Amino acid sequence: MPLRLLKFALSKEHPAPRFFKAHETPKKSYDVVIIGGGGHGLAAAYYLAKDHGITNVCVLEKGYIGGGNTGRNTTIVRSNYLTPEGVNFYDASVKIYEGLSEELDLNLFYSTRGHFTLAHTESAMRTMRWRAEVNKHVGVESRVVGPDEIAKACPQLDLSCSGQAPILGALFHAPGSVARHDGVAWGYARGADRLGAEIYQNTEVLGIDVKNGKVSGVKTNKGYIETKQVLSAVAGFTPRITEMVDLETPIVIHPLQACVTEPMKPFLDTILVSGSLHVYVSQSSRGELVMGSSLDPYEVHQTRSTLDFVEGLTSHMLDMFPFLSNIKVVRQWAGMADMTPDFAPIMGKTPIEGFYIDAGWGTWGFKATPISGKTMAQTIANDSAPDLIHSFRLSRFEDYELTGEKGAASVGH
Amino acid sequence: MIFRTPKQTGEWVNRDKKINFTFEGEAFSAFEGDTISSALWAAGQKVLGRSFKYHRARGVLSFANHDVNVLVTDGVDTNMRGDVVTVKEGMALFAVNTKGGVKKDKNSYIDSISPLLPVGFYYKAFHTPRRLFPLWENVIRNAAGLGVVNFNYPRILKRKTHSHCDVLVVGAGPTGLTAALTAAEAGLEVTIVDENRQLGGSLGYNRAADSKSVTQLDGLLSKVASLPNIKVIASAYAAGYYPDHLIPIVGESGINKVRAKAVIVASGAFEQPPVFRYNDLPGVMLGSAAQRLIYRYAVKPFNNGVVVTANDYGYRVALDLLQAGTKIAALVDMRSAGNANSAAELVKRGIKVYAGHCVYEALASSDKLGVRGAVICAYDDKQNVALTDNKFTLECDGISMSAGWAPAGALLYQAGTGMQFDYGVEQFVPSRLPNGMFAAGKVNGIFELEQRVRDGVRAAHDAIRHLGLQAPQNQAEKHVGASPSHPYPMVPHPKGKNFVDFDEDIQIKDFVNAAKEGFDNIELMKRFTTVGMGPSQGKHSNMNAIRILAKIRGLPVEKIGTTTSRPFFHPTPIGHLGGRGFHSHRLTSLHDWHQANGAVFTDIGAWKRAAYYPAAGQSKEDAIQTEALAVRKTAGIIDGSSFGKIEIHGPDAALFLERFFTGEYTDQKVGSCRYVMLLDDSGVIADDGIASRLADDLFYLSIGTSNAAAVYREMQRSQQIWQLNLGLVNVTGAFGAINIAGPAAREILSTLTDFDLSFESFPMSSVRESQVAGVEARMIRVAFVADNGYELHAPMAQIPHIWNALMQAGKKHDLRPFGSDTQRLLRLEMGHPMPGIDTDGLTNPFEIGAEWAIKMNKPYFIGQRSLVILAKRPLRKQLVPFVLADNFKGEMPMDCNLVVDGRNILGRVTSISYSKYIDRCIGFAYVSPDKKEVGSVFQIRTDSGSLVAATVVKSPFIKTLKGA
Amino acid sequence: MKLLTCPMNGTRPLSEFIFGGEYRQAPDQDTCSDAEWAAFVHNRSGAPGDKKEWWYHSPSGTWFIAERNTLTDVVSRTYLAGQNNTTQEEGK
Repeated sequence: MPLRLLKFALSKEHPAPRFFKAHETPKKSYDVVIIGGGGHGLAAAYYLAKDHGITNVCVLEKGYIGGGNTGRNTTIVRSNYLTPEGVNFYDASVKIYEGLSEELDLNLFYSTRGHFTLAHTESAMRTMRWRAEVNKHVGVESRVVGPDEIAKACPQLDLSCSGQAPILGALFHAPGSVARHDGVAWGYARGADRLGAEIYQNTEVLGIDVKNGKVSGVKTNKGYIETKQVLSAVAGFTPRITEMVDLETPIVIHPLQACVTEPMKPFLDTILVSGSLHVYVSQSSRGELVMGSSLDPYEVHQTRSTLDFVEGLTSHMLDMFPFLSNIKVVRQWAGMADMTPDFAPIMGKTPIEGFYIDAGWGTWGFKATPISGKTMAQTIANDSAPDLIHSFRLSRFEDYELTGEKGAASVGH
Repeated sequence: MIFRTPKQTGEWVNRDKKINFTFEGEAFSAFEGDTISSALWAAGQKVLGRSFKYHRARGVLSFANHDVNVLVTDGVDTNMRGDVVTVKEGMALFAVNTKGGVKKDKNSYIDSISPLLPVGFYYKAFHTPRRLFPLWENVIRNAAGLGVVNFNYPRILKRKTHSHCDVLVVGAGPTGLTAALTAAEAGLEVTIVDENRQLGGSLGYNRAADSKSVTQLDGLLSKVASLPNIKVIASAYAAGYYPDHLIPIVGESGINKVRAKAVIVASGAFEQPPVFRYNDLPGVMLGSAAQRLIYRYAVKPFNNGVVVTANDYGYRVALDLLQAGTKIAALVDMRSAGNANSAAELVKRGIKVYAGHCVYEALASSDKLGVRGAVICAYDDKQNVALTDNKFTLECDGISMSAGWAPAGALLYQAGTGMQFDYGVEQFVPSRLPNGMFAAGKVNGIFELEQRVRDGVRAAHDAIRHLGLQAPQNQAEKHVGASPSHPYPMVPHPKGKNFVDFDEDIQIKDFVNAAKEGFDNIELMKRFTTVGMGPSQGKHSNMNAIRILAKIRGLPVEKIGTTTSRPFFHPTPIGHLGGRGFHSHRLTSLHDWHQANGAVFTDIGAWKRAAYYPAAGQSKEDAIQTEALAVRKTAGIIDGSSFGKIEIHGPDAALFLERFFTGEYTDQKVGSCRYVMLLDDSGVIADDGIASRLADDLFYLSIGTSNAAAVYREMQRSQQIWQLNLGLVNVTGAFGAINIAGPAAREILSTLTDFDLSFESFPMSSVRESQVAGVEARMIRVAFVADNGYELHAPMAQIPHIWNALMQAGKKHDLRPFGSDTQRLLRLEMGHPMPGIDTDGLTNPFEIGAEWAIKMNKPYFIGQRSLVILAKRPLRKQLVPFVLADNFKGEMPMDCNLVVDGRNILGRVTSISYSKYIDRCIGFAYVSPDKKEVGSVFQIRTDSGSLVAATVVKSPFIKTLKGA
Repeated sequence: MKLLTCPMNGTRPLSEFIFGGEYRQAPDQDTCSDAEWAAFVHNRSGAPGDKKEWWYHSPSGTWFIAERNTLTDVVSRTYLAGQNNTTQEEGK
């Protein structure tokens, strides 16, 4: 047992302090107001303080921290994207993730398992090849592997998929990892709190004041806050926030569902994704199979579950793992994914001075948490977006310069 | 079967049939109908499992699948629920998640080091130094998990059925049965579902030693049986609520998806354990579990027990225990006032009753595998203080616990019911029911039997009125008297091990410490402590967790709220949910022919297409080159039946095409063909194809295979908007198509038709209708794969006839079939980029040099306005035809290899192939616009990293390089 | 599975339908600015509320308009495009 657990056995009182202070009412004004206490918003608060010394910051969360898509995703971290811009960006995120448990002194169970994107058709193989080439060029470890190598890493997988969709190969991405999603939010919350940022839960933004094209304040259910800089980091709630400042975006909300089995002893060491079968799966450290599928096909601002989803997903899981027939699904849930036309995020400045956006995270937000926090902090501190996120700017749509991540992101969590 | 009682009225076991089985290698016998748990308990086997985290010994707790203390494997299946799975002859069972057996689990040392493992311990250690984490992770992963997965378990295909009813009643206790009868008597089609093998719910076991309820149950059941419009589903659970009243009923044989017009939830309540130190020892069980053991399975819960209660229910349990022949050392009522009347009755029978007392802790037997006594002390239940000064020990071998209930409200929550906390019953009850949902009985906060029956009638009347029939509006029932649930049945103990969540081994102090660390709202607390995240999903733990948090925060319970209820009510097997796999494929009428002739198939959209036909021992590459050469030298034939085929009929057909596609069609001559390109609103290429004008008012469109359905759909939508005078018919499946191409194609075809195939009578890009091999066909002269090519479109069923006739006629010309992979090479040689291969999701026509296909001077076409914008913007990339050096011998680049200039990516190869006919490596690649001119040289990086020079040439390759 | 009412075929399970996005009026492409057109092409009114949407009943090939609240997922009316006088209440 690690020595650091000894103190729990030896002290009478539980020796761990609060992760973050419980504030009641926000102050009259802040330098920066961050809307959204998910991983992204909390990370932005953390890096604003740590990298830029900006600590007069509050994070407003209408529910509880990490309760949105941070706590609902299937926790896969990877950087095997299709565009060089995407690969560079997510690779920077992976690099922060690798040292994040130590930096935040919180075990995020960042577990590098290797990630296989299975290809069942020639056209899928082409996409894998394309991604591998771009990844290699940027220096990210991805390569196309054949069925033998897949079988070695995951001997239980039926490579013929019950004869229905034989696996031709895969994109293998060695850095592919999973992490404890809640821990990421809590770790950033604690880090930001210790550096001076204030976190308000159950605090809902009701309006944003814009005067002469500039942000001047935020109305909340806990009073009015004066501020010149507002970051919206609310994923599935983005359209509700951008509506407050009359900002049009391409974002449309579709639910993304997931489900989990009861725990069993470890047998699946890798992360598997199949675009054709619409499945992604990994086994958590508790032993549960955590499974997801593609987006719900229509717009809903809700996190309801559907039976269709779980029926389709389990049917395809059985194609891959026929022996799971009597393993039981315990729970299904959903998040609200903020989708963009090119499956790339929308980050940076907006036409409204002082209103910054961190959105369009669709199904890929968790893996970008550290780097989005870092680059948005940089954007706010300098009032200018760094090159790393230039391709994700909102104005790319007006410029007809979309980023083209669709091929890598469709079912590619 | 030392704990078996004499026969109980209504017992569920068949004493005439013995079952033999083993548990952990030891032989046991049971009666038919016993569950695994009841059989073992009857035999005196009390350690039935080990807990998830601390590996503590566990026995029966809820005996209702509201906990996972008893999870076993039979070597085939895993995580089987001992409480509810019936034991079968010859079963060889083992507890899951033990190391060395359930009695001597080597992992039980974890229990003794539990002070080192505080709540959320795994967040606090193991991550530094970083390099050691994988080792720790391995240890933790192996310690966690429950059963071991059997990789040889068969894929089971469970049937799915669908049914419809007027009223679905969930739960067949007295409330549900009454509701079902009332609705059925009004003439409605009723389905009633209960997870138990037999109907009746608590009416069957909550007897207080009085068999009156059995008589009442028999009465209800015979009425239900007499009504043909009640469908009874037993041994199956309502797994969840989905929109528009869709409720999957999960039973052994499969899932029945019930669509109901109204749903009455009469699902009862889960009994909640009081919390005290060692309340998890084998022998400590819920009062209702004791009752179920007695009346369903004729099993004595223990010989000499203590009954601890914090409501009136425990008194009823005591009477049932006495009836079963159990001695009762004492009844301990945690309420200061107790219940004088019920107590007096027990005292009369010689039972000691201690009101205002609690079980301070259960005492473990020396092997820690059972109960040897209970420490009793005075208890102030208002202040939640155990007054230990005068504590004393009672010897016992078991403890029955009753403290209250939590509504089995999963379906109500999932349907969006507003719930509020009712302090009269200390329980969440529905306050705002969604349309068509009704609740009755315990889940509605009604506990007295007569009231529950009335509540069932009331709910049924509400449902009847909802369905538009007449029924009285009954007054809502209201609970009177002592609360069935205690507001805080939690006894503090400095040494802890007072369990709240038995799935996850969570004790009171875990909540306190979680709150200290800031996880002090119910959702964060759930995530940090993992309460309710085990397989029972909080059935026995969520309510107590809410109470504890409310106390910690000094808030009323309703301010704490509940966590979100999600499907499934019980964990549901993947095989049930997945059922049959559906993989729909479309096959052309020539599929059998392709198969018989050795085709290798490829999936294109939903279609199976022949990709190429290798001769024995021939490589794919060779096969493709051979097939391509045949087309260039003599003739080849391909099955194009999967192409999208759409007819546009009507006076406005040409106008429609002009708006839909980029080209011009109003001036297109009848009998001629034109290229069509479809864009989306943003100017991105979606698909292309050929429009053949068969008459002034009839166009026949052939488009790509994979997009056909989507393109047709968009045509229909456009027509809805434009309301032109025309009709659209998707004839993709009705028509098949054959393309015969190559120098000898015309000659071969001419033997099968009287039609004059001369170039004058049938020039390039024209369409003719004539008989081919006696079949009416549309012949289209196109040059996608070769200058001399004919597409023959005819009814799908006639295609094999034409194909065979062509093969026969082509014999002397060595006519060969070719597949879709070969077609790609041929199309490349002809210099035609393929949408989806040479374009991607962002490619506009300018980027592939398709300006020729765009008629910007039309008033409108889809994507036109975006092209106006794009035309003003600098080109970002350009598709160019290229060749590698003559006699190139190095590492062959492949498609998707990048075009690079040092660290810069200029583009990528989209198609590349050696062409045997041209004897050159040719391809398409995206390059930066400065490299687009003929003669420009650019570098392709191969898989291994070497750079290969490529030169831009003029397309079509076949003309530029071969002069063909 | 949710139910949806096709104006031509009646109430059917949602699995028979394909979502076609919001029903929108394009700006006049001859008079609008490039920016207005780009906004029409890319931007959406993503905030929750009552929307007019395209839906397609796949087995019959019927496009129609559904008025749906994207927050509650309740459909109030469905009708063929251009025939929005025909009221069709969805089971509620």
